[in-house]
Amino acid sequence: MKKWTTLLLVLLIALTSILSACGTSNEPADTTAAEPTAMTEPTAAPEAAAAPEATEVPEPAAAAEPVDISMWALASVTEAGPPADDWIAYDRIRDELGINLHYTIIPPQGDGETKLNAAAAANDLPDLFMIVSTTNDRDNLRTYHDLGLIAPVDDMFAMMPERTKTHYNNPVLIDLDSFDGQAYGLPNPPGITNREGLVIRQDWLDNLGLEAPTTPAELLEVAKAFTFNDPDGNGQDDTYGIGAFIEGSGVGRRFNPIFGAYGVVDLWNFVDAADGNFGLNVRDPQYYEAMKTMIEFTDAGVIDPDWPTLTKDEFRARWKQGRTGIMWEDFAALTNKSNYTPFDDNFPDASWTPLPALTGPGGEHVYGLNEANFSTYAVSQKAADEGKKEAIARLLEWMATDGYYLIGFGEEGVNFNLDEDGYITLDGIDPDLAFNSPAMQPPTQLRGTAFYNTLAEISARYPNYETNNGREMTPIKTYLEFFQSQQWIEGFAKKLIPPPENAADFYRYYDEGILQFALGQKELTPESWAEYLAGLDSLGAVQFEEGARQTLTDAGLLP
Amino acid sequence: MVAAGSRSTSEHSLGRRVRAVAHSMWRMRWMYLLMTPTLIYLLVFKYIPLWNAQIAFKDFKPLLGVTGSPWVGFEHFQTFVNSFYFSQLLTNTIFFSLAKLLLGLPVAIICALALHETVLRRYRTFVQTVIYLPHFLSWVIMFGVLLSILSPGDGLLNQIIERLGGQPIAFMTSPKYFRWVVVFSDIWKETGWSTILYLAALLAINPELYEAAAVDGANAIQRIWHISLPGIVPVIVLVTLLRMGHILEAGFNQIFVLYSVPVYSVGDILDTWVYRQGLLQFKFSLATAVGFFKGVIGLILILVANRVAKRVAQQGLF
Amino acid sequence: MLQSKTRDGRWFQIGVGIFLTTVLLIILIPFWRVIVTAFVPLDTYITEGVPFFLPLKKWTAEAFTQLMGHTQFTIALRNSVIITVLGVAISMTLTIPLAYGLSARNLPGRKLIVAIVLFTYLFNPGLIPVYLLVTSLKLQNNFLAVILPPALSVFNTLVMMGFFEGLPDDFKEAARLDGANELQVLWHVILPLSKPILLTIGLFYAVFFWNEFFTPILYLNDGNLIPLPVLLRNILISSSLNEFVEYNAFSTTSVESLKAAGVLITMLPMLLLYPWIQRYFTKGSLVGGVKE
Repeated sequence: MKKWTTLLLVLLIALTSILSACGTSNEPADTTAAEPTAMTEPTAAPEAAAAPEATEVPEPAAAAEPVDISMWALASVTEAGPPADDWIAYDRIRDELGINLHYTIIPPQGDGETKLNAAAAANDLPDLFMIVSTTNDRDNLRTYHDLGLIAPVDDMFAMMPERTKTHYNNPVLIDLDSFDGQAYGLPNPPGITNREGLVIRQDWLDNLGLEAPTTPAELLEVAKAFTFNDPDGNGQDDTYGIGAFIEGSGVGRRFNPIFGAYGVVDLWNFVDAADGNFGLNVRDPQYYEAMKTMIEFTDAGVIDPDWPTLTKDEFRARWKQGRTGIMWEDFAALTNKSNYTPFDDNFPDASWTPLPALTGPGGEHVYGLNEANFSTYAVSQKAADEGKKEAIARLLEWMATDGYYLIGFGEEGVNFNLDEDGYITLDGIDPDLAFNSPAMQPPTQLRGTAFYNTLAEISARYPNYETNNGREMTPIKTYLEFFQSQQWIEGFAKKLIPPPENAADFYRYYDEGILQFALGQKELTPESWAEYLAGLDSLGAVQFEEGARQTLTDAGLLP
Repeated sequence: MVAAGSRSTSEHSLGRRVRAVAHSMWRMRWMYLLMTPTLIYLLVFKYIPLWNAQIAFKDFKPLLGVTGSPWVGFEHFQTFVNSFYFSQLLTNTIFFSLAKLLLGLPVAIICALALHETVLRRYRTFVQTVIYLPHFLSWVIMFGVLLSILSPGDGLLNQIIERLGGQPIAFMTSPKYFRWVVVFSDIWKETGWSTILYLAALLAINPELYEAAAVDGANAIQRIWHISLPGIVPVIVLVTLLRMGHILEAGFNQIFVLYSVPVYSVGDILDTWVYRQGLLQFKFSLATAVGFFKGVIGLILILVANRVAKRVAQQGLF
Repeated sequence: MLQSKTRDGRWFQIGVGIFLTTVLLIILIPFWRVIVTAFVPLDTYITEGVPFFLPLKKWTAEAFTQLMGHTQFTIALRNSVIITVLGVAISMTLTIPLAYGLSARNLPGRKLIVAIVLFTYLFNPGLIPVYLLVTSLKLQNNFLAVILPPALSVFNTLVMMGFFEGLPDDFKEAARLDGANELQVLWHVILPLSKPILLTIGLFYAVFFWNEFFTPILYLNDGNLIPLPVLLRNILISSSLNEFVEYNAFSTTSVESLKAAGVLITMLPMLLLYPWIQRYFTKGSLVGGVKE
């Protein structure tokens, strides 16, 4: 009989939990009896009546009730987790701005995009959110715009004069977030651009008595020597010339050195745009030549054979393990201290030399495509309807002014200090509390929203240091500035181009064909190439190109 | 007269049948009461979403809601069926599904039988625990494991091949081998897990049957053939039938992690296509339409398979 | 185990032993690599990758220390436990009665109910239709959003139904003749006889909820509500993503080690659960029920 009642009880609980779930209120963070400890709100009651501490208050703090602003944004270091509930910035934002900020970290890549899209489908987007896209931010922004889910933000610039000066001063970026002449997104200043480049193991070159390559043919010879002539002198056949993985369309950016020598990097032919020859790069006869060269590398077996299936991690693990000697790599991923140290510990006498663009038979020497990589904030139409635009502008303005250091580096005197020139220093700071310490990652998750690439920021982020054998490592000077001095093609207009009809099928066909040729799975002949291009046409390549030309002409970017 | 009489008897018998049904329903009233909470749950959490799934036939606009969005009929289905890779996607999906079922099922059953037969109790517990472990490896981890075995550079298997004088094979990026990498890695990962079910079924067999067989002097093979296997046929039939219903689910998580551009032609399946085409590009209606398509195919197959199972094994779902 | 020792018994047993050992090795060898990966020290990983044999003194639990020392680890673990326990309780409460009801072949309307249930198995409405329901119930930031939509597995229900069907009718009839109603029959007769299948299905549900990461990402916005798989996923995806790597949260271990350690950590509770369940997987549980 007792068991009986237990069962009934269990059934009852199940039923009530379902029913209670149906009937809960509108509160964003409701808690049920089942999860007593799950609390979102900071426990301290907001002291609305208390006067804000008398410093410069940018806007008169709102009266009694603070405005709730929900904000979804990528974190700077997702793995470090969100700021604690008692984060000092939450308090200051409430006291000084009259805003209750609810910050949710959205996961990167597809997860984050799906989360945003699902919220959009339910018309449940947060007030302020960062666009996350695995393809092109602008395409997602366009979708939300077409569905009427996001608000125009032109009127917000005037509400945040300082931030507009420092952050929203690039009309090109604003255009990339605009539709029909109205801005629907707030573009954060792009990160450092043109930051990748070709590097080679100098010690391997020296060991084998070789010169740095200047043409694709020389690169092939060096890569062969790196693969077959035991460049590290360990007596084992354990090295490959070139390390790579697929990143970007076709064979990806990692093969820019080969394709750049023929002037055909990436999808679009921006190089010849001025001559009225704008279209897909694969139409360019030079692309066929570049592919022939690429195949020579494949046939020679000088590329790490796993490259088509490697992830970025594995690619990086391999150069740190000394398995590859030539690669296209991001300057920070290569030289920033936390990344370089494992390699340095392994090979203290090794060093990577940055190389200029290779020159092809036709004299082309393109380094890469400059794609403006910036993140965009959008404001949901719902938030605008609720009159929250002004509060959102207040918040963003604060992050660029009074809150700048707090959001970016933490508290002055505790987490960082400023020297007389305004540079960030750690002099007199407890290393465990330093702005770049693990403990300070959660409270600086939103630093990307504050930063705008000042020299002080960049030098704080990529400091010089000494390697194990006493060499001075200067990431900015030796690598970044060298890479940036090469010939980069202006390619931000790429983002304006609307995607092809059936984008997924089109891109699959495009990538698959190129890789089949590049890997030698399909023989490259003029006929097979023509056949490939014909297939591309049957998937709407011509219309895609026409649409692209139309868009760029309308934007005044093509003659 | 005759006609009237027959009609009255048929009415009479109909009434009696209704009464009989009503009577047995009343007799089973506790049964219905027991099931009511679950049925309410199904209504709320399965059927309301299915009602929402009408967006498969609509041009879904969040601001207009599910009911307010305009109807477009079968447009999304047409987009899907007429898409460039449709037949390839379908072939790949069915291949993976069937290969995993047809190769995986016997392996799991044999393992379960072996575990059931062994007299080494502790060893059995140990083996059982170990083979169930890979189920918990995510495919992301599995990718690393597979790469370490199959990589043409330094993979274990390729080192063996080279030692034997062969040429290294790019298993993961070669269209020729990729399919089997998918099938066998799935079997490796999931066999132990599916064994649990068959083992539980074997344990439910009445031990008296085995005792009787022992008295009759049956050997091990006879015992397996005449008692163990028939004892788990219902589970085998059930699992197979249900798998047929999901024939167009070929393991999204696995393939999404393992495939790469060079093997799209043999690796791309409906779900990966939908992911690339649909979810990320806000084509939710299209994604839902593909879901319907999979459901219809599953329904047809499960009905056919049920009929076959009834005829062959005298077992069925309904 | 099996009392019958026939002539071919010994050779048969040897064959079975060899077979099981082969299976064991096929499983263990790749799995071994995952274990070594989790324990390999960074310098070894950097110089030679993951070796097959790692000298004993080189083993390091650094990756585990890093993960378990994460500020959110305890809270994520707690959330996972809540989701799993609550999820299994709700799932079993929904599954058992339905499976029992459907196991009565003579239940009027049974076919209709089977059809209703199977329909939900065949037709998966997909992400958005479920999302719309969950948001309209205001379940965001609530564990029930993660638990309720998948709480009833048709597969598990039908498997359980199959087992209930297989139970000899005599017991049920005997109990019914004693004047017990169906609930009593289920509670006093059926469930005690069905321990292996109840534990199996319970395990299936537990593992499902324990590993669930996608719906928490969708529905739980509050960082204090994330379960363990989401935390691990965040760590792994973003540490491999750090394009602008001015900061590396885990500089003392490799991403590969973290991945492997994360898997082993999530695996551990299930690893402990299974042998415990296996104790009930002994033969004769049915007979024991009969004799009582």
